[in-house]
Amino acid sequence: MSAFFDAGHYDGKSAVRRKVEVQIIGRQFFLLETERRHGPFAFSDIEYVTHKDDADVYGLKEADGWRLMLSGPVPSDLSAMLPARRNYGGWVDRLGFGKAAVAFTLASAAAVAVVLLSPQWLAPLIPSSVDEKLGDALVGDFGGRFCSTPAGDAALKKLVASLDANPSDLQVEVAKIDMVNAVALPGGKVILFDGLVKQARSPDEVAGVLAHEIGHVREKHVMQALLRQMGLAVVLGGIDGNSGALVNNLLSMSYSRESEAEADAHSMKALGGANISPIGTASFFDRLSKMDGSASSSTSENGIAGYMSSHPLSRSRKDAFEKSIVKGKNYKPALTPAEWTELKTMCTQDRNAKSGFGFDFN
Amino acid sequence: MNDDLSHRHSAFRFHGSWLEFARIAFPNLLLTIVTLGIYRFWATTREREYLWSKTEFIDERLEWTGKGIELFVGFVMAFLLIGLPLIVIQLISQGLIFRGESILAVVMTLMMFLLLFYLTGVAYFRALRYRLSRTYWRGIRGGSDDPGFQYGLAYMWKSVVGWLPIFLGVPWSMISLWNDRWNAMSFGPHRFSATAEWKPLMKRYLLFYLVPFLLFIGAVVFGISMAASGGTPGTLGSTGIAIGAIFAIVGVLSFYLFLPLAALAYYSKYFRLAVGGLRLHNLEFDFRARAPDWILFFLSNMAIVICTLGIGYIFMPYRNWKFFIDHMEAYGEINIDDLTQSETVVAKHGEGLLDAFDVGAI
Repeated sequence: MSAFFDAGHYDGKSAVRRKVEVQIIGRQFFLLETERRHGPFAFSDIEYVTHKDDADVYGLKEADGWRLMLSGPVPSDLSAMLPARRNYGGWVDRLGFGKAAVAFTLASAAAVAVVLLSPQWLAPLIPSSVDEKLGDALVGDFGGRFCSTPAGDAALKKLVASLDANPSDLQVEVAKIDMVNAVALPGGKVILFDGLVKQARSPDEVAGVLAHEIGHVREKHVMQALLRQMGLAVVLGGIDGNSGALVNNLLSMSYSRESEAEADAHSMKALGGANISPIGTASFFDRLSKMDGSASSSTSENGIAGYMSSHPLSRSRKDAFEKSIVKGKNYKPALTPAEWTELKTMCTQDRNAKSGFGFDFN
Repeated sequence: MNDDLSHRHSAFRFHGSWLEFARIAFPNLLLTIVTLGIYRFWATTREREYLWSKTEFIDERLEWTGKGIELFVGFVMAFLLIGLPLIVIQLISQGLIFRGESILAVVMTLMMFLLLFYLTGVAYFRALRYRLSRTYWRGIRGGSDDPGFQYGLAYMWKSVVGWLPIFLGVPWSMISLWNDRWNAMSFGPHRFSATAEWKPLMKRYLLFYLVPFLLFIGAVVFGISMAASGGTPGTLGSTGIAIGAIFAIVGVLSFYLFLPLAALAYYSKYFRLAVGGLRLHNLEFDFRARAPDWILFFLSNMAIVICTLGIGYIFMPYRNWKFFIDHMEAYGEINIDDLTQSETVVAKHGEGLLDAFDVGAI
């Protein structure tokens, strides 16, 4: 049993400050005033609150506003019973600042790595029904912008069938939008924009781009990119707490360089299998890379910038397609001249298809 | 035990030093970076613990008893309740636009904005409530039993009514909402009463409101007088052009200079009136900073941030709090025996919504 002088106390019921002595009895203590005794209180209920002025402030569990303020040298038998000071917060105090900083750095790096890598493992686990529903929800009938004529559809169907072994679970459409672009979306949906088809000089060019987008579908890149973008948004969302940035991240979904390379490889293989010359695709890339970046961005509506922004271009991609040419191989054109004309003029012929976006997309 | 405050130094005194604060702010910055931002909730808590403990009201320091985990849980809740639905709605409306259902998409987006607008109001209210409920003085805390849902509605309609008459109602809505907020708050057994008036604020607001017009008129008058004096800058030769250019630069600069200054002058008056209308039982409050103080404060904050290449930003919580406490004043008396514990509920989570929307203090 010992007494401790010079302690301040608030009982949490009124704002009156009391001068008390701490009387320790085993694992409990009393607070002694001149004519009153408060307690007993259990040391196990004591919590560290804060440090103020020159005093350490302790609270009592379940007693709102109860305070014990100890200043000056605290006798060792009392300090041994009290909870440790809190500085940074639980984990950091337990580990120490340096160790905690290193541990957090490692954990953060691991979290980012998991987010970047796990989509490759998770994407195949997403059932195709979910994939399809997501695709339907996103695209639907594209606001009636898909073009369709009997001969054009037949030409497109032939093109797809020559490039893919299972064309039935793909949905390839030409949309009446005057942009040089093509996209792969969830649910095996591939959309070629009419602008791309129109500016192509041969059906082989369209075949190369189409095979590239089919590559994204077959390699499950679409779901991977979605998952990666969402994961990053969640992990990095902690930094600024800005939910708007989160949404933006999601919408600016793009593929990694590895995915692009894989899709290119898929495209070259498909072209080879279909006996279509990759030279068309190479010259398409060549034309794109020769375009001046600033000039194309100013004409983004009709120009090439759309494709450029979602498909990073480099000479190496063009070279890769050129290298995949097998000398002496007897390549056939992807479509007959009549079929090519039908595909190219499909959107002009189909008067029912709505054109453009109908609003400013940017 | 009565404290007569009228013959003493300010009832509020700040004892902090920026060197001490630096020892909290720099480790905080490091830990925040290595945890990808997650530590910032604990960082905020540590900073508040320090600032509160260095703030003396009459004869006792304040205590901040909020926990990092409360802010973190609040953030997670805001993310789940608002962030995720926002992303989903964004995706759905994107899909609707693709499908051509633009009107439905617009309606959904509008609903989303209305909901966010409402929640912003609720967030302002709950942040104040949270801060009061975690602030202890002599073992007594503040709070409110009002969850703030009504306030969210008031926030919506009063803001809109303030904007409708070409934004001339803004002073009314700001003061009225301040009063609504504080009238719902209490400290100990006493309810705050907020009776600030908006009419005295109108002159300052009109000053701010008319700055662009006055500058424009000034420029026109200057141009006419130049013409009347018989020479356009061109006929005066190169010196004339130089003078004209200097005036043009001064004109643009003064626009960017005068508008923030006028805004600060307005805000200074607003805050003085708002705090001046506040009462707690027999206590009256006053905020003594006038427009020049605010302008000096604002400019030195900018200078600190710029001269330290941005690092000085971590001292802004310190500077804001010091500025606030240094200019706070209270008059009247407190009966310590009457100041009993608050009966208000204690919310388990922190300023999640406010944090998610990134809106500032007080």
